[in-house]
Amino acid sequence: MTFLEIVAQLGDSMLNSIWIFLLTLLFSIPLGLLICIARLYAWKPIQWLMKIYISVVRGTPLMLQLLVIYFGPYFLFGMRLTTSYRFWAVILAFSLNYAAYFAEIFRSGIQSIPVGQHEAAYILGYGKFQKFLRIITPQMFKRVLPAVTNESITLVKDTSLAFAISYIELFTEASMIAAAETSMLPYLVAAIFYYVLNLIVAGVMSMLEKRMNYYKI
Amino acid sequence: MNYLEVSHLKKRFDKTDVLHDISFSVKEGEVVSIIGPSGSGKSTLLRCCTFLETISGGGISYMGKKAVEVNGSGKLEYAPKKEFREIQHYFGLVFQNFNLFPHYSVLRNIVEPQRLILKKSREDAEKTAMQLLEKVGLANKAKAYPCELSGGQQQRVAIVRALAMSPSILFFDEPTSALDPELTGEILEVIRLLADDHMTMVIVTHEMSFAKAISDRVIFMADGYIVEEGTPKQVFEHPEKERTRQFLAHYS
Repeated sequence: MTFLEIVAQLGDSMLNSIWIFLLTLLFSIPLGLLICIARLYAWKPIQWLMKIYISVVRGTPLMLQLLVIYFGPYFLFGMRLTTSYRFWAVILAFSLNYAAYFAEIFRSGIQSIPVGQHEAAYILGYGKFQKFLRIITPQMFKRVLPAVTNESITLVKDTSLAFAISYIELFTEASMIAAAETSMLPYLVAAIFYYVLNLIVAGVMSMLEKRMNYYKI
Repeated sequence: MNYLEVSHLKKRFDKTDVLHDISFSVKEGEVVSIIGPSGSGKSTLLRCCTFLETISGGGISYMGKKAVEVNGSGKLEYAPKKEFREIQHYFGLVFQNFNLFPHYSVLRNIVEPQRLILKKSREDAEKTAMQLLEKVGLANKAKAYPCELSGGQQQRVAIVRALAMSPSILFFDEPTSALDPELTGEILEVIRLLADDHMTMVIVTHEMSFAKAISDRVIFMADGYIVEEGTPKQVFEHPEKERTRQFLAHYS
């Protein structure tokens, strides 16, 4: 395999990594917000449930969670595993896992909003939902942006864990080529790809931060 | 009619009594100042009147309508939900720390509550906002964000935001305490303007000469009690109680 062939093949599988990244963000951020709201404001038993959920998800390895979600249906119910389920198992495991982290990031953001903001909204007559939607959440997002950037960068690298269930993404592909060609080159190219992806992620997030700079809290 | 009627109000935090049996009322057009040393319960009283704190005893009425009351068995009884919301519209509150919404422009801070809660049209709400901003000399700051304003300007916007909801009573919780001495003047000027328009106001303040000049009535509080109450002349020049004299001695 020539260098260019390696780059082209890794480029193809990088698209799979990017899909994992994008879909995980798409699902885990809203889910994280929901978990956060339930964790803070729901009926007490639900709050406890959310606490337990977050604690378990954070306390066990993502790779283990991925394996459980991928093999679970077969081991527990004898269901046949389809090829497309491999992809959705990755998305499901990643989304459920990252939602827990995002929930905690959002909680820290919400709890850092000064109590005066809640009081001003209450006195003006805002309902709880109006207050949350219009006053608290927008300010929360600004505050948590740096933490979300961190989490997104970790996610780019974590996509390589899909290797554990042989889903062909950047890292799995690089390992396969490296073994076949007995060469370090695929790893080097993969490393550069991950790094460039993260440069882009960091760049986009810092642009977002700048756009939110029109006000200070 | 009494706009506000507080009767036998008590407030307890854990096991500490912060307010003991407070009764007072505010009539239409009256300006009442509440003065007293730090920790005397002035701000807590205001927070109870605006429902930011629950009460532990007594009751509060607005416009002759019972808003909240502690019944015989010690339970809080609020007015029915719809009536309670209506009662909430009777008053506004200006905070010590302004508490403007930082992510909104000055105009939106004032317009959104009118649209959302009073269901006014955008045109209407903006007209009200601009008229009031004009009045406090900040019409040119309508598009600015709170972080671009001085403390005094922020507080003037906060006053406008409260006024735009057309409250019957406006409460001020130490409106100048977070400001540089140079900036307190502009806030006191705005409050004086409102007094000239016969706005009903209750002002917790440490500005003694201001309280003396502007108030129809002054309430002196200490240790959770109303110690003395009367016209500014009575309280400031001929205080009857020793505790009042002690306090005022610090200001002369």
